[in-house]
Amino acid sequence: MAIAIENKIDPAVERYRQLFDINEQQLNGQKAHPFHQVRKAAMANLEQTGFPQRKDEDYKYTRVDKIAKVKYADAPKASVSQEVADGLAFEELDTYHLVFVNGRYQHQLSNIGETQKGLVIGDYKSVYAHKEAASFLEQVIKSDLGKNAFVDLNSAFAKNGLFVYVAKNTTVEKPIHISHLTVAEGEEFIVHPQLAVFAEQSAEVSIIETFNALQEGAYFNNPVSRFVLKANANVKHYKLQNESSSGNQINNTIVSQDRDSVYSSYVADLGGKVVRNNLSSHLQDSGTNTNMYGVYLGKGSQHIDNQSFLDHAFPHCESNQLYKGILDEQSRGVFNGKVTVQPDAQKTNAYQQNSSLVLSDTAVMDSKPQLEIFADDVKCSHGATIGQLDEDSIYYLRTRGMNRDQAKATLQFAFLAEVLTHFPLESVRAKIAEMIEKKLKK
Amino acid sequence: MLSIKNLQVSVEDKEILKGINLEVKPGEVHAIMGPNGSGKSTLSHVLAGRDDYEVTGGSINFDGKDLLEMEVDERAVAGIFLAFQYPVEIPGVSNMNFLKSMISSIREARGEEELSPIDTVKFIKEKIKLVEMDNKLLKRSLNEGFSGGEKKRNEMLQMAVLEPKLGILDETDSGLDIDALKIVANAVNKLRNENRSFIIVTHYQRLLEYIVPDYVHVLHDGKIVKSGDKNLALELEEKGYDWLKQEVVA
Repeated sequence: MAIAIENKIDPAVERYRQLFDINEQQLNGQKAHPFHQVRKAAMANLEQTGFPQRKDEDYKYTRVDKIAKVKYADAPKASVSQEVADGLAFEELDTYHLVFVNGRYQHQLSNIGETQKGLVIGDYKSVYAHKEAASFLEQVIKSDLGKNAFVDLNSAFAKNGLFVYVAKNTTVEKPIHISHLTVAEGEEFIVHPQLAVFAEQSAEVSIIETFNALQEGAYFNNPVSRFVLKANANVKHYKLQNESSSGNQINNTIVSQDRDSVYSSYVADLGGKVVRNNLSSHLQDSGTNTNMYGVYLGKGSQHIDNQSFLDHAFPHCESNQLYKGILDEQSRGVFNGKVTVQPDAQKTNAYQQNSSLVLSDTAVMDSKPQLEIFADDVKCSHGATIGQLDEDSIYYLRTRGMNRDQAKATLQFAFLAEVLTHFPLESVRAKIAEMIEKKLKK
Repeated sequence: MLSIKNLQVSVEDKEILKGINLEVKPGEVHAIMGPNGSGKSTLSHVLAGRDDYEVTGGSINFDGKDLLEMEVDERAVAGIFLAFQYPVEIPGVSNMNFLKSMISSIREARGEEELSPIDTVKFIKEKIKLVEMDNKLLKRSLNEGFSGGEKKRNEMLQMAVLEPKLGILDETDSGLDIDALKIVANAVNKLRNENRSFIIVTHYQRLLEYIVPDYVHVLHDGKIVKSGDKNLALELEEKGYDWLKQEVVA
């Protein structure tokens, strides 16, 4: 009986196989390309593992099988105006601005100009020409094969991707802003954005990923972002997710950190219908520092799931994790932070905190801060709180002339603002603050 | 200005105020003294409009309006200010931004002219001098990590900024050292004028050496048992509350 069940092929996977084969037939000379070999391997892995089902512990609170089984169309080509594209940029912040519409890079809408010395920004096609960079990229994508069905799906179907390379000792002066804009028209479709960032020894760069929707409409965004930090590199990674209220996103961010490197993640989840973030950092040596900050704000029937994974296997590493969110109406939030400290990871400092406000009887928050410690000389703490707005604080603000709604909105904003104070870029912080305030007032 | 008639208030079915009568005219300073548990704080919060209290009888008229029919924020707009005994700490709300939004919303609600951002900052800086507060406290979160004295000064700053018709100080002096106490008293004295009245609720006579009241009332077991001028406070200081309790019983 068990064999019969195992042999039952997931119909969703079967459909992707057919789609993959059709795509493959359309390829001419590129079938032999190493990147296509990676795609083939990813598809084979997906067939092997299938999509996570409800019984999977890691997906207990988030039904992704429903998202996987939809028969998606290819993302339609859409054009947007320069004005719309410029509107995605941050005020008073000079960036390399790269605009993607429905997963396709829009050169004419982007604003890169001359890149500074030591910085390379390009699509994968431009990387193929550089043998060393191409094999670097191939290695990284290969190393993730078979670990996560949605990463495999992305690897199998992403036709292109964005590549950022920062040379040794280079400090990138301007942040790199990658705008993903979705224009939902017609059938529900799927997009597979891919980003790979390589920071060489002592390189520094800030990357901002934003996800916006031009209009309401259903789609599935399945991005994978990879960050490779060599020794002493410092990468600040912002992600501002504001998908349409019927857009789903399953985001995988996979980080690899070498000795003494610092990776900091700053995430704001404001939009989307079902949102799942898998954030993991793989620590390769000692002296690393990993920061993970996140805010989330759920309304309506939104579902926002933040998963993080960090494995301390070397001594003298530090990790800080602070996620705060508000769930209102029928929304649901999930936090699952897994941090392990291996026996050899002495002198580790690991802090983890998740706090949520649940404002209605129908909103739900599931929080699981998991810290497993196998070393004895460490400083670690973890905690989760789930609460409501403090009535004394509401009263205090009202005695100063705020009406009840204003007082509540002020306190809700303040609750999230604690996390935003950690976001170094003022313009990004201000934009997120503005979006939060707007959403709180709705 | 304020007329309290036979006010009776219960908390969770326990009667706390048992018929308070008090008339406050424009420009007057009334001190309300009394032992712990006499109902002083309850009176302060009933005036501010706190929900937890049930008014079972009597009336409060403020400026010709029925105060008990008004929401907490409507009372603030109408000109009632309560300085808290325990000001609430609100992390994440910058003190400066809070003052700014307070000014703009209260002016709008009172139908006053809007202040430009520059004038708003000027206005705040003016008021800060009044309470001798360190500018650094403006950048911090509202009351978060403030010392007792800093919190009370911040209350005085908010009062100065909101320009109320009636300022109620709920045991603002409790726990303050003499320097902080003088600053609080000084702020009140500067804000005191022929149109603005104060109710100073206190346990100790010391504050009244610096804020000289027009009237002193003694609250005991939910009733005003004795009223007089500033000399009553001195008498209380000398004889303690027990003397009064005995007198009341007798």
